[in-house]
Amino acid sequence: MTESRDNPLEPYVRSALALQGYVFDEAEVAEIAAQFSRLEAIARTVLDWPLPFASESAPVFRP
Amino acid sequence: VIGSAADIAQQIAKGAISAAAVLERCKALIEAKDPDLNCFTAKTFERAEREAAAIDGMYAEGKALPPLAGVPYAVKNLFDVEGMVTLAGAKINAGNAPAASDATIVARMSRAGAILVGALNMEELAYGFLTENYHYGITRNPRDRTRGAGGSSGGSAAAVGAGMLPITLGSDTSGSIRVPASLCGVFGLKPTYGRLSRSGTYPFVNSFDHVGPFANSVLGLALAYDAMQGPDPDDPACAQRPIEPAGMSLSLSRGVRIGILGGWFHEWADPAARRSVQLAAAALGATEWTELKSAEVARAAAYIVTGAEGGALHRPRLIERYDDFGPSARSRLVAGSLIPASWVTQAQRVRQSAYREAMNLFERFDLLIAAAAPAVAPRVGQETLLINGRSIPTKAGLGVLTQPISCIGLPVCTVPVWPDEGDSPAERALPVGVQLIGAPWREDVCLAAARTLEQARVAEVRPP
Repeated sequence: MTESRDNPLEPYVRSALALQGYVFDEAEVAEIAAQFSRLEAIARTVLDWPLPFASESAPVFRP
Repeated sequence: VIGSAADIAQQIAKGAISAAAVLERCKALIEAKDPDLNCFTAKTFERAEREAAAIDGMYAEGKALPPLAGVPYAVKNLFDVEGMVTLAGAKINAGNAPAASDATIVARMSRAGAILVGALNMEELAYGFLTENYHYGITRNPRDRTRGAGGSSGGSAAAVGAGMLPITLGSDTSGSIRVPASLCGVFGLKPTYGRLSRSGTYPFVNSFDHVGPFANSVLGLALAYDAMQGPDPDDPACAQRPIEPAGMSLSLSRGVRIGILGGWFHEWADPAARRSVQLAAAALGATEWTELKSAEVARAAAYIVTGAEGGALHRPRLIERYDDFGPSARSRLVAGSLIPASWVTQAQRVRQSAYREAMNLFERFDLLIAAAAPAVAPRVGQETLLINGRSIPTKAGLGVLTQPISCIGLPVCTVPVWPDEGDSPAERALPVGVQLIGAPWREDVCLAAARTLEQARVAEVRPP
């Protein structure tokens, strides 16, 4: 509970879990929020990486 | 230990031994060695006996034998095998219906004459670089039973490293062929993204999922790779390219330009891993260092896309059956399913940018080399790796050198090198693999460099 309350991303995680249809107890929410924090820390590297405005995503779909 | 694929096929083609006799020898090795290692989750000996009898029948009738005639192999348990449930290391799949047919590349191995003997343990849902499977047990390292085999294709690497099989198949999303190949001291090939069909394999991250072989020799690796090539409209990512055989000529061209990857790849390699790279570079005559500056961000991008795609794939069952997932996978998968779309889009843009940087490097080099793992195999249950004074969680850290490369889909042959570095005799006896990284669709260059190292005895699969 303490970890969950101290995690600034926990409100986002709670909202996103509800949006996606998950129902978890408090311990599970805390664990998921901790995992999400790790992802967020890694995502910063990606989000801060400078890219030209017009750079495209790696293609996946091939009609 | 079992011989190489080429030797087995040659002996059978000459009539020196029957496919049935090879199979009996292989079964005895599996029964003797597997209880200590836990590589196999299922054995397909009845099917193997039928396939071996068919090869012996062809020989008796004087027919030409296919290239892998009578060569036993097994597959990571995320490949569909007709009549078997495809587990992908997960209890949630145990109640699924058996596969109606073989995965495309399993069917191609059968057409090439190979004999399927079973399915192999893996990390649950391929999400992790260990094979400490909550449901199906730990796969141990054949070089040291106190250490793990790595993952997620741990059973596939350990079965070859233990000398049970000359060839196995695995998959690699972020390093799941290259990391266990490194830790278990065997050859592994992660081909170019889209080269081999994934049809009939249990997915994890469509953007990065690759399949490929492990082997105890470079020629065996090439024979399996060649047997599995070819277009397949059932896999939307599979390139509709003709077969480009690599096994016919495994000699490295004169004047091949080789770059040693520094920067991220040097920083995250401990002394043993650096020594492996040094030995491989010296044997290949490589002296020039270079850098893939986007390695760190490519790794981060792979993390984000992996979390999002893996989480989205499993979301319905995470809602319904959370407790049936292992504790290591479930909270990570749910967290991944909450990743905002803008992060994923940015990660895919980074991926394209990193790919372009790599293509610029390949104007100067034909091959890049780097360690395949930051260190030797960690002990089972070891929670952190200490790399040049920096601590990193084992579960994520083992893939620190492979993830940037699979993010951009380059072909890599991992070769087993024996650096003789470490604090104890036990550590000094362990391998660290080296990644031989080619430009897209140049698996032939990777395999030729691997063969050069094998011939120089710098890279070799040692007896366990």
